[in-house]
Amino acid sequence: MRLSKTFPNKSLLAALAGSIVLFASCTKDFKGINLDKNSIAVIGPAELPFLFSKALDVAPGAYYNYQVAQNLFADQYTQYFACEATYFASDRLTIVQNWVRAAFNPMYTDVMPQLQSIFAAADSTSAEYAMANVWWVYTFHRVTDYWGPIPYFSAGKGGTSIPYDPQDKIYADFFKRLASASTILKAHSGENHYGSYDLIYGGDVNRWYKFANSLRLRLALRVSKVDPANAKIQAEAAVAAGVMTSSAAIADPTAMTSGDDAFVQRSAKNNDGNGLQSMSDWDEFRMSASMASVLNGYQDPRLPQYFLPAKNTGVYSGLRNGLTVDQLGKVPNVAANNSHVGQRYSSTAIVDKNGSVLGSANSIATGQNVMVTAESYFNRAEGALLGWSMGGSAKDLYNLGITNSLIQWNVTNVAVQTAYINSVKTPVAPGDYLNSPAMASIPVLFGIDAATQLEQIATQKWLSLYPDGMEAWADFRRSRKLKLYPVANSDNPDITNTSTQIIRRIPFLDDEKKANAAAVTAAITLLGGPDKVTTPLWWDKN
Amino acid sequence: MLSVFFVLCGTCAMAQERTITGTVMGANNAPVVSATVSQKGTKKATVTSDNGSFSLKVSGNSVVLIISSVGFTTQEFTVPAGSVSANINLADDSKQLGEVVVTALGITRQSKTLTYATQSIKPAELTGVRDPNNVLNSLSGKVANAVITQGSGGPGSGARVVLRGNRSIQQSNNALIVVDGVPINNSTNGTAGSDFGSVQGSDGASSINPDDIESMSILRGASAAALYGSQAGNGVIVITTKKGSKDKIAVTFNSGAVIEKAWSLPKVQNEYGQGLSGVYVDSLHGESWGSKLDGHTYTDFLKKQATYSPQPDNIKNFFRTGSSFNNSIGVSGGTEKMQTYLSYTNNSIAGIVPENRLLRHTITVRVTNQISKKFSTDGKITYISQDIKNKPRTGEENAPTIDIYNIPRNISNAQAAQYQFINNVGVPTAYAAYPSTNPGIYQDPYWMIYNTALNETRDRVMGFLSGKYQIVPWLSFTGRANLDRTFDKLSQIYYQGTVLWSHTGGYYAQQNIVTTQKWFDGILEGNNKITTDLKINYHAGVIYQDGKYDQTNNTADGLNVTNKFSLNYATNPNIFSTGSEVQTQALFAQANISWKDALYLDGSFRNDWNSNLPSPYSFQYYSVGGSAILSDLFKLPNSISFLKASLSYAEVGNGGQFGLLNNSYSYSAGAGNGFLSRGTTLPFPTLKPEIVKSTEASIEARVLDNRLGITATYYKSNSTNQLIQVPTPVATGYALSYLNAGNIQNTGLELVLNASPVKTRDFGWDLLVNFAFNRNKVIRLSDEIKTISIGGGYGRSATPQVSEGGSYGDMVGYQWKKNAKGQRLVNADGTPVTTNVTGELQGLIGNNSPRETMGMTNTFRYKAFSLRVLVDGRIGGVVVDGTEMNLAFSGIPEITAKYRAGGINLGGVDTNGTSISKTITAQQFWKAASGQRYGTAEFFAYSATNFRVRELSLGYDIPLHSKIFIKGARISAIARNVFWIYRGKSILDIPSLGKRTMTFDPDMTLGNGNFQGISYGTLPATRSYGLNLALNF
Repeated sequence: MRLSKTFPNKSLLAALAGSIVLFASCTKDFKGINLDKNSIAVIGPAELPFLFSKALDVAPGAYYNYQVAQNLFADQYTQYFACEATYFASDRLTIVQNWVRAAFNPMYTDVMPQLQSIFAAADSTSAEYAMANVWWVYTFHRVTDYWGPIPYFSAGKGGTSIPYDPQDKIYADFFKRLASASTILKAHSGENHYGSYDLIYGGDVNRWYKFANSLRLRLALRVSKVDPANAKIQAEAAVAAGVMTSSAAIADPTAMTSGDDAFVQRSAKNNDGNGLQSMSDWDEFRMSASMASVLNGYQDPRLPQYFLPAKNTGVYSGLRNGLTVDQLGKVPNVAANNSHVGQRYSSTAIVDKNGSVLGSANSIATGQNVMVTAESYFNRAEGALLGWSMGGSAKDLYNLGITNSLIQWNVTNVAVQTAYINSVKTPVAPGDYLNSPAMASIPVLFGIDAATQLEQIATQKWLSLYPDGMEAWADFRRSRKLKLYPVANSDNPDITNTSTQIIRRIPFLDDEKKANAAAVTAAITLLGGPDKVTTPLWWDKN
Repeated sequence: MLSVFFVLCGTCAMAQERTITGTVMGANNAPVVSATVSQKGTKKATVTSDNGSFSLKVSGNSVVLIISSVGFTTQEFTVPAGSVSANINLADDSKQLGEVVVTALGITRQSKTLTYATQSIKPAELTGVRDPNNVLNSLSGKVANAVITQGSGGPGSGARVVLRGNRSIQQSNNALIVVDGVPINNSTNGTAGSDFGSVQGSDGASSINPDDIESMSILRGASAAALYGSQAGNGVIVITTKKGSKDKIAVTFNSGAVIEKAWSLPKVQNEYGQGLSGVYVDSLHGESWGSKLDGHTYTDFLKKQATYSPQPDNIKNFFRTGSSFNNSIGVSGGTEKMQTYLSYTNNSIAGIVPENRLLRHTITVRVTNQISKKFSTDGKITYISQDIKNKPRTGEENAPTIDIYNIPRNISNAQAAQYQFINNVGVPTAYAAYPSTNPGIYQDPYWMIYNTALNETRDRVMGFLSGKYQIVPWLSFTGRANLDRTFDKLSQIYYQGTVLWSHTGGYYAQQNIVTTQKWFDGILEGNNKITTDLKINYHAGVIYQDGKYDQTNNTADGLNVTNKFSLNYATNPNIFSTGSEVQTQALFAQANISWKDALYLDGSFRNDWNSNLPSPYSFQYYSVGGSAILSDLFKLPNSISFLKASLSYAEVGNGGQFGLLNNSYSYSAGAGNGFLSRGTTLPFPTLKPEIVKSTEASIEARVLDNRLGITATYYKSNSTNQLIQVPTPVATGYALSYLNAGNIQNTGLELVLNASPVKTRDFGWDLLVNFAFNRNKVIRLSDEIKTISIGGGYGRSATPQVSEGGSYGDMVGYQWKKNAKGQRLVNADGTPVTTNVTGELQGLIGNNSPRETMGMTNTFRYKAFSLRVLVDGRIGGVVVDGTEMNLAFSGIPEITAKYRAGGINLGGVDTNGTSISKTITAQQFWKAASGQRYGTAEFFAYSATNFRVRELSLGYDIPLHSKIFIKGARISAIARNVFWIYRGKSILDIPSLGKRTMTFDPDMTLGNGNFQGISYGTLPATRSYGLNLALNF
């Protein structure tokens, strides 16, 4: 009673107490508040095609990943380019783990989940499922060919440590997936799936079918030394089903090709550009002396497409791989005295001595190489030499490989093509700082003896794969028929003689050794040798 | 529980008589808040409001009022019959020395009742020697145990204030900033996370106008901050702003002008020019390893005749003299019922990098109302409009700073200033042939200045409205609504032809960021006297907080019309939006029980519901503390006038981060129809709140008639359950995952000493010293991970990390390799063997935090003159000079002039332990040591120990005739960063070369985030001088 007198504003207090209780229990909106309004929480059928596009975009090396995933390693190891930047030691065979992880991580985070979502949602007999399956193989063959054993069968299936699997088992799965995808795609022939979301063929199932078979042929050659019997079976099945056969001249490198060649479309939007072009303006890489020796020697009609004349001299020059910091400072080795990558990959900032623009305005959207028709011909030519049934003679297939490559690079004049095929010109001394001799002595004209033929096939395949250094390096390690220059200097303590030793794999990632340590330890056993650059992969029997 | 108090105190009777109104003022006519006014012999009592006013109903003719307040001598005041007003002045109780401190949520407390250490900063210390860049920088040297660093982005740049050491691995370590009781948004739009660099954005604190500050107190420990919850574990800076006074109109006018000059620039050699190996190569060669600068005539890169001679000032002359003008006017006045404070401030700052400028207008209106005897309101609105033009970049990236540092030693500013020609279609075109040390990245610095721009526009509105209802004399309710919204528009302009950004037509990007914080609270405050000796003061309340962040990026990567910088010309417009929202609701209670005004027991409890967390969203934390005024409890020697001991323990919780609970897929534009990517961070549905636990004990003593005071505080804080983002095996499909783990401990001791050694009418000497040490230990991370890198980069110079068993901010980098015996290895050619070439893991270089920090302010007063000198310093810690690393590759630093012809004998051994006596040239050594962009950090690591005269001011109170309308006038001359007393040396004693003294200022860092300890392309620190005029009307 007295109390009520003391609180003339009893109602106020009651309201306050009430509001406190109500106020603090208003958490029903919290779940919604904590969702990102700019992103999508649940994936449905409308979203799946966008996931497929993402997988296609990332697997061949997306914009900013390209340099650190591929250019500073495979592209140098296969001597398409030599490094100009003194601060990049990878050309002297140092492995920089912080960079090379760009060839590993995005495959698992930006390709695998996308493809697994499609596998989970799509009917296993659908074309979509098969296309995703082919892309799965494309993605992971590049990963395993860098490292050997990789996390594969258990990847993306939960858990905190993902075991590594041996390369032979992974390859067996590749062949299984490709055979199955080939069968399914054949059943869907003439159809279109994914349409404009398919950045390679615009949804054309027929060309995906050829792509699947061509990839199977590539992998068959890869295992031809370690497992010749299966290699023959896989290669013959692939060729019988039908591999890529026809390149189209590319008038506009940013447009989708009408030929069989696989390029993934790039755009000027949002760092989705061509990875090689991304490096155009940085003056960090130039033509290698190897390319200079061969292309100049052959007076190769693709040369003006592949490279630009050196700014200072106006001629096509390259430098040897593995120059020291000191050597790179010497005048013949500076960027302006060597050839920049060609117009398709050069921005308009690239000008000649007189300030005329050499690059192209749309080069950022130049399609990125995935697989070219010429490669299938060279694979068939090599298969023919191995006695496989490849639907043609080694020589015819070799010549068709060259012809298709020339067409793909817009050399459509038949007379020029014929002259090149019949050319007896040989590589020349590149005239570089180290006064290197000619890289090789073989002409273009197909030779008589098998050794010459194998080297010619390897060399022309190397030229036609340009600028896909990842495949070129894998093929070089497998065949060893291509005669590259020894790397000038090695900073890698495991490579003491660059005439006899090459980088044969990438050591397991430091990141993985930290985050997935037990799995990496077990993987070293699967590797069958120390976790070094000198340990060959399962298919590398050289 | 509250009802118990209500019952105890519900004994006031009512009567009908006259009402006496009046004010209670203390020294300097400052209102005494919450003083108790009672009628002697009755139970009638009231407390004074925020402006010191009261009104009390009394009965009887002549009445005696008893006025009491902590910190003042209790006084009786007689009001004669018929009189209804009473204006009372209270005298300070020197024994109590009742400094008033504004604590959490704007709660005003007598400092003696607190159970934890606080430190007050006088506004004059902030407005006297101003730092033009950010008000927080003015705290350097003044706050015990504070490490203050400045992000390298020119005026308006975010600053970093770390109290009692770093504790958070991946979230901010910055002190929370509270203005008028509510935490302000102090986020920074972008800061460097690696030595590659970035654009250092403005922070929220840089919008605070120092002229509006009434008081500032620093709550270093968690106890002090327990009521704030999130982020208060880093300590709190509590700012109270000015409000209107009544009865009189007061006008203050302050005008200051400061000029700034680049200070601590890299020391460069002036003997050798462009070239390599002692030979001039050609006009395009960017490095300075060439021949002696002998003054001969040569054809320069402009194809003009020039002399090959040293340009010793070409770096210094690039920077201009910055200027900063500050003009503010404040008007305050009002009546009993309503008081108003109005202020306008104009800051105009020109940075030391040409074209970089800041213009800021701040308008504040504050109105306080005594609407009725029981109900008062307080409302304020502040509008800030800020424009920053041409912010310099920071880091190794294309900043004008690193570009000018890389200028060849024989190229003059006049030569470099010819950076472009206008081509035949009117487009500025670079002389393609600038002699850059790295043409793919570094270009003519003048091009960067005039043909690129980073602009920032900020509009910020902050306002609050609060109402206080005095329910009964001992109980009041305050409700408050606070809104803080910032609109930031950031734009980037790059002319066609800019290296790294040379997209056809140019590049334009525009970023719009809207940050909104809403805060509502309701607080019940009570004071009761349970017995004569036992009193209680308590608060209970509810807080609702909602923070929202929305960002839209528009990028025009390529412009259809060359160099027309608008989104309308975008060749490929790209839009990206992102945002987040966090809502917190909280209930809290806090009570302080005192016995005989000498023993205090303090406790607080808070329950948070946070939308970041999984259901039920709730977590709790609390604090307890006690203190004893020993000088009141016991008879102590007369020389001890005050002695207090306190002990407290507190926990502070933090509700994690937005959107971690679920997977999300985000869209990005690209070929075809664009892409959907799944977030690469594993969802974390079991997210738990972080908890910082801290214990603090302090002793405060004043002796010799309060002429000497010492406060010593020991603390230990453990930051546990930290939300840590860790790498996960990517084959899971996720690159990162979160876990709650860790225990990072900071222990330390803080000493604050103030003394007045001389105190006479004409001459006075005051001394204020703070000294602190902090020891950090990473006791535990988690089972999964033992080391976490802070920031990244590709290992250019060094990377700070947090590693179990180590200390926060241990920096790793590549080193000069040693063998098992500790001998340094060299190659057969005499060059050093470095671990970046051998491919080994990076090794520990040092820790980036100081071990001890100190500051000493001496103030001398002679008649109308006063001289104030602040000396401060830090002991310990290592900073890697990435700038020197980069420049050493090109033969630019002073040290590279030695041994050009050879003769460096590193005195090392080969892998077999055999001595190598081969000598090498400077070029061989520095190229091997530096690597330019990716180097061996150990060669460029410096002890960051330094002492300097931070601030100097000489003031003069202009004597005024009492009849003129100006009440006070003071003019002062000021200087900041006056000179170095000591600077640390490089950590390696390189044979033949010795140790070098650091040339940079370790307070300037790449950014204000946790990536600290690396200087790389950072702006030079500045020395400033100025004049300040303050007038009171």
